[in-house]
Parts: sequence; C-alpha cells; structure tokens
Amino acid sequence: MKTLEDILCRQPETLREALTLLSDEATRGVLLSGGTDLIVQWQAGAVPMPEQIIDLSAVPELKNISEQDGRILIGAGVTHAAIRNHALTRGALPALVASCASIGARQIQSRGTLGGNVANASPAGDASPALLVADACVVTASLAGERCIPMKDFLLDYRKIDRHPDELILRFELTPCPKGGIELFSKIGTRGAQAISKVMGACRIVMHKGIVEQIALALGSVAATAIRLPETEALLTGKTLTEKLVDEAEACVMQEVHPIADIRSTAEYRRWVSGRIVRGFLASRMTGFGPPSC
Amino acid sequence: MNTITRTWVVNEVEQTVTFEGLRRLLDVLREDLRLTGVKEGCGEGECGACTVLINGEPVTSCIVPAVQVPEGAEILTVEGLEKLELGRRIQKAYIEKGSVQCGFCTPGMLMSSYALLSRNSRPTEQEIREAHAGNLCRCTGYEKIVDAVRAVADELERGTRSTV
Repeated sequence: MKTLEDILCRQPETLREALTLLSDEATRGVLLSGGTDLIVQWQAGAVPMPEQIIDLSAVPELKNISEQDGRILIGAGVTHAAIRNHALTRGALPALVASCASIGARQIQSRGTLGGNVANASPAGDASPALLVADACVVTASLAGERCIPMKDFLLDYRKIDRHPDELILRFELTPCPKGGIELFSKIGTRGAQAISKVMGACRIVMHKGIVEQIALALGSVAATAIRLPETEALLTGKTLTEKLVDEAEACVMQEVHPIADIRSTAEYRRWVSGRIVRGFLASRMTGFGPPSC
Repeated sequence: MNTITRTWVVNEVEQTVTFEGLRRLLDVLREDLRLTGVKEGCGEGECGACTVLINGEPVTSCIVPAVQVPEGAEILTVEGLEKLELGRRIQKAYIEKGSVQCGFCTPGMLMSSYALLSRNSRPTEQEIREAHAGNLCRCTGYEKIVDAVRAVADELERGTRSTV
C-alpha cells in the first residue's frame, strides 16, 4: 500500500523556484501548505495519495503580513496562529482574527495556513466569510505574472477555485475595517469549539447616529461556496436600525441563502441559523453590546 | 520517493535524521529517535496525544511531515521537559493535583501546558482551557489538569522557587 513516505516531495526555497516547478508538467504536483487538511485526507483514503507534491512551507515570500497603500497583505503561507497574534491583523481585521481563532485547536493553528484554508475550498472553510467582508483579493502567481482576483470570484463552486495549474496563491489583499466600524464573527457547530461549522458568518458594519452607513455580510456552509448577502446588505444600507428592520433583514437572509442537508446539518436548520446569525450581528449594534469599534 | 537528511536540536541535543518523502514527524521521533513518550492517538490531528513543540509552537506531530521541520529547528518532546525548570514544575503540579489517570494523553497535555506557560505566565482560566482544547482526555474531566496549570501559574506569580 502506498504511504506518505512514497510521495516524492520537492521543496522550493524561493518563490521563483516554486513557480518554475509549477510551470513544467513533469514537476507540477499537488501544492502542500500546512498539511492539516491534505495529510488527513490522504491518510484516510478520502483523496488518493499523489505521486509527487510541491511543499510550500519553505518559501519565504509566502509568510509575510504587511500593509501597503492602505491595504493589509497576508501571504498565503501565513498560519492561523500568526494572524491571531500579529498587530496589523488584530487591529484591522478582527473578524478574520476571530475566524482563525476558531479553526481547530492551537496545534492546528500553528500549522494551517490562510492560503490552505481557501485552496481547500470547503464551503465550511472558516476564514472565507471574513475575507469576503474585507473585500479581499486573491493574488495568484505564475512565471507569466500575477493575477488579482476578487475573493467572491475566486471561489467558483463546491471545492473549486480559480487557480490555473501553473499558479499558486501568493497572498491576500484586504481592506482594513474603517475607523468607527465594527467586525463580528459567529460560528455555529455541534459543540461550542473544536467542531466543523454548520453555519458561520462575518459582518463589517459602519453605523452613524443609528443609521447603517455601510454593511458587508457573508456566510459560509450555506451554499456551494461562502457567499456575500447583497440583497440583505442593500435592504439595510442607509436605514435606521429598528426592530422592524432587523426582522426584515432576518427574513431576507433566509431567502437569500441556499443551504443543503449533509452529514453535519439539515438545510432547514442552516437557513434558520443564517437568519439568526445576522439578527445577532444587528441586535448587538442596537443594544451597544459587542466589541469596541476599529 | 526521495531521501532527506535534517539536523535538529531535539530536547537540547543535536540529532541528525534521515527519512523518506512525507514521513511523519511522529514516526521519526518515536521510531528513529526512540522518543516513545510521544503518543499516537487518533493519527489525524484531533486528539493531541502526539503534541510536541517546534521552535516553541505546539503541533500535532502525526500530521506534520518531517520534511516541513526546517534545518536547525528546536523540537521539544515530553522527554525534554525534565531538563527545563518550567517543565519540572509542570510535571510536579500534575502529580500533586492528580492530573494523570490512564496517562495516555499526559505527554501531549504537558506539552500544551508548557507551550502556554512559557509564553504567558499569568493565563486566565479561559486561556488555560483554550490552550488545552486540542488535547482530549477521557479520564480526568480536565478539572485537575486546569488546576495543575493554574497552580504553576500561581507559583510563578508568587515568585516562589520550590525545589524541583
């Protein structure tokens, strides 16, 4: 039987070297980042073990968090633990930090990466809603150059992303939460922690004198990919947040999502919880409970 | 398949290891270096019995390919704890508080305690529980483990130097 030890592992030490390996069909292989999904899937036989892989863990260009022209740049190989701990992400992207804190336990957060979480393209990938509300762009790279793809377009379908075979995910570019804005993250699973999400959501909201000036809402595990909720966002924008508006928003969310039933939950439960998650986000703005603004 | 050679500092001792492909760090530690204190429970990164520290970061060694552990990395396993004062304090507190029952989770649990206390000597109850959330124990109900970690933190705060 084939084991992990039979896999041919190439380990580029620069981005250029990684892209060169990817450019040639003979050396092109499955891209391995933290391995927290792939190693488990291979060992369980859920996915056949590949003949060869390209291990990205030694590519330094993938490991930085920085700020450039008012955007936060996060390398695809940055771990969940690093996102939780870095001053830039903690200050500007609280929903992303909260989502990374909810992914597995500390040991998984040490290894799992943002690029891997997105590339695995599970509808239950916890980082995706937070990336969507931060208007993230995914920057891919190949020897031919870079492409910058809005996150909502990068997630094509169930477990499908817009990555060409000769490309890797280089980094994510995110808009920081505006001054006076607030970000929220909510995750519902079988247990309070250490469980794969049934539904999770992220919200970025800017309020002024009780009026919703800007709002971004995204949910995961309620469609083939994580999604923004443009209809609910449009319903809320520019309006005074009242009990009635919150009721309307909850109803709007419930018709805007397209959940399925699977091993973790039913479609009906997911639809209901989707509405409740958004209600919770909005209600916290009415009562003033919740985290401090950015 | 390909052969890789690495030199790491394992429990403060330089060790050169040779392995194939994506051989797991767990297997290199247990089978090649005979560090059998590192336990395999679930084999899929869920139970935490195989927890070791790489450069101070806790990882489940059952899903870390050894090839991803860089040259020169410092690896700490349960066997290395007795060489460290904080490690000895944690071990002693586990004994005193009755934090060990069947003992299978203990090596991994101790490593999570060490990873937490080496960075944060005054953790809150919530921080203690979160730091051990990736270590399953089916015997103790966790309370006595939390008690032991809190006892070490209290001791560090008081600055008392018990002889261990």
